[in-house]
Amino acid sequence: MAVVRKSIAAMTSAEKTAFVNALRQFKNTPANGRTYNWYIDQHITYFARTSDNISHAHQSPSFLPWHREYMRLLELDLQTVSGNPAIFIPYWDWTGAASPFTADLLGAITNGSVSSGNFSPSWGWSVYRSSISTSFLQRRLGQNATRPTATTVNNVQSFTVYDQSPWNSSVSNSYRNRLEIELHNRVHNYVGGHMGTREAPNDPAFWLHHCNIDRLWWLWQNNRGIDTYVPRTGTTSGVIDNLESMRPFGAGRTPSAVRDINPLGYSYA
Amino acid sequence: MSDMKRRDVLRYSAAGAVTAATATLAGTQALAGPDRSDLPEDRRTDRNKKGEPWDPRDFDEIYRGRRIRGRHVLGSLLRGQDELFVGNKKLALTTISTLFFPADGSAPYVATGYISAVNHYDPVEIDNDRRRDGLKRLGKKIVDILGDLELSDESAKSHQH
Repeated sequence: MAVVRKSIAAMTSAEKTAFVNALRQFKNTPANGRTYNWYIDQHITYFARTSDNISHAHQSPSFLPWHREYMRLLELDLQTVSGNPAIFIPYWDWTGAASPFTADLLGAITNGSVSSGNFSPSWGWSVYRSSISTSFLQRRLGQNATRPTATTVNNVQSFTVYDQSPWNSSVSNSYRNRLEIELHNRVHNYVGGHMGTREAPNDPAFWLHHCNIDRLWWLWQNNRGIDTYVPRTGTTSGVIDNLESMRPFGAGRTPSAVRDINPLGYSYA
Repeated sequence: MSDMKRRDVLRYSAAGAVTAATATLAGTQALAGPDRSDLPEDRRTDRNKKGEPWDPRDFDEIYRGRRIRGRHVLGSLLRGQDELFVGNKKLALTTISTLFFPADGSAPYVATGYISAVNHYDPVEIDNDRRRDGLKRLGKKIVDILGDLELSDESAKSHQH
């Protein structure tokens, strides 16, 4: 069923409860052959350059399509595990006033261990493969970075070249790299704690943040063209081409296959 | 953060390097007295050990009550094999070539930065003509992120970018 991904500012109380409960349920119950911790494993594995010498998930053109597919799978798994096909991943527009760190959504503790309330161990959440020695989800909101402003977002959205050689973190005239560093990295660092680590999907804020990144890319695609991924074809060394499958998602899961969100079963409100 | 960075900008003349090296050594000697037997042999980065070359940028000091130690490995390609310890836990490092955005809004520039499992989205610029204390600034950043917690064994696992 097609779902509409809403802003956290527009969610009803019932939608918030359904979303967090589905996450908790998936943390403890597999769905479609996957577990919540599988997502953390994939993030750690594909953050690094894998044995095929390709950076699939970060610091490369496929940063955006990789996370689009990653979130599509999670949304599907949350729907399956909860038996509720209306479950959607909400987005967090960090330029706005609405915060996801509230008692009824991701939990209100933002300055250290999430030791009570939603996403605490007593609520039913556990951390997995943590690089910080703790059993509590960690957050340090605003300690290490500030939120991007609407002006920064507009500046990033105005880049017209999707990406270009050398296709990594050093490209200046690249929509993908500016979005990745100036908005995406910055918000990971703004939330801090586990969100700043390799195992960031331990914090469900990961999904709300990436949902907004995906929304911004979709807005950009609506201005610049939906079929604008580069590199287009061939075998550009070390990166995923438009028609190349992204690991670990399997054959056919190419940037081209996820360029249009309508066939993927969701839209943005 | 911009204030910190500004203070950290040291243009090293030869004389400056000697001064800094002396200061680092003095700091180390002040700490050399306390017992290090809590650390396994292979985890000590004691630059006074025989046969181990040390670099004037190496450090062993207390920051916010936590011991941080850094060692610059000779011949380390772009510094990715440098060693950083917080307490007695090692943090695996890697380096990436990346854009840096100065906090004062001046033009972004490309440089090499250290990243690790803990500061995965927040590279810290390695030593170059702009900065000479990259590894120490990384050590302090990691302590700021950890608060009173320790690194886990997971953080010592290396990876490539």
